[in-house]
Amino acid sequence: MKRYLNFPVIALILLSFWLTPGLAVGGVPTDQIKSTVDKALVVLRDPRFKPTAKTKERREQLKQILFARFDFTEMAKRSLGANWRRRTPKEQEEFVRLFTDLLERAYADTIESYGDEKIVYVGERLDGGYADVSSKVHTSKGEEFSLNYRAHFVGGEWRVYDVVVENISMVNNYRSQFNRVISNASYEELVRRLKDKAAFPVQKN
Amino acid sequence: MNHSRTDVVVGIFVLGGIICLGYLTIRLGKLELFGNPGYVVYADFASVAGLKLGDPVEIAGVKVGKVESLALADDRARITVRLEPQVKLQEDAIASVRARGLIGDKFVLVTPGASDKIIVPGGKIRETESPPDITDLIGKVVGGDLTSKSEKKPE
Repeated sequence: MKRYLNFPVIALILLSFWLTPGLAVGGVPTDQIKSTVDKALVVLRDPRFKPTAKTKERREQLKQILFARFDFTEMAKRSLGANWRRRTPKEQEEFVRLFTDLLERAYADTIESYGDEKIVYVGERLDGGYADVSSKVHTSKGEEFSLNYRAHFVGGEWRVYDVVVENISMVNNYRSQFNRVISNASYEELVRRLKDKAAFPVQKN
Repeated sequence: MNHSRTDVVVGIFVLGGIICLGYLTIRLGKLELFGNPGYVVYADFASVAGLKLGDPVEIAGVKVGKVESLALADDRARITVRLEPQVKLQEDAIASVRARGLIGDKFVLVTPGASDKIIVPGGKIRETESPPDITDLIGKVVGGDLTSKSEKKPE
């Protein structure tokens, strides 16, 4: 048997050990999120969309890609927190729409300024129907920040319901903001403010 | 009857004193003789830097429980908290480790969620938020300024 333990065999065994952690990192949730992010990056890097005239078209494409992976209804529900259950289904529906608009206004410009970033997927944590996918983003300026996705398994797909940047959860951030408005004023005031913002988008500079 | 009436009164008085002293000791020392009321849930964090045993768990600034144990589970911090029996946490409640002020005492802040499902005793708060590392952030701001090639990318 000894003669089988020659160099290629040992090399193969060592190689398999070396490859294993890489395989363990990329589970199904990571694969699905990665494919969505990659698709978005392809659109962002596409020179065809670079002219300003094409911005709208590009945003439409990005929306389609992201809506398939991100569960904005769940995100809105979680962001509203305990107040969600006190609203009628119609109000909930309206809130989801306003919330999605809010996200678009808040993040569209940021996302569209990306493109040269390098993203490394560093880990995945599974817990029943829930997953936590962690990645690191290296910007072209040489900065690095952590970007984690919280996803749940619905309808045969992993869908993201929270994004955690540098340990700050987006849902928790919005949850405390919304709760503050609701407890200081009312739910109606929150809706009014969200609508106001939709009518008068924040002007850049 | 060998004892006088005064002896009996003094006896009762001393006994009363001892009971009061015992009560005070238990209350001030926060000893729990008669079992802990409430129920326990646990939560995993990437880091709980600075959190100590007995630190409060709060919802909207009101104390609803305390940290009962801190341990390591895999490479994450696992804390168990004892909550008051009347407190119900939704499955999507978020627990985050916060500080009072920039360097103040740490506590666990729970923001109630929207789910209809309630976390059962012994269950897990799945959604957690670790404290941002202040030193790390300062380092990033300072370091980022030094290393960045330009403030804004050329259009």
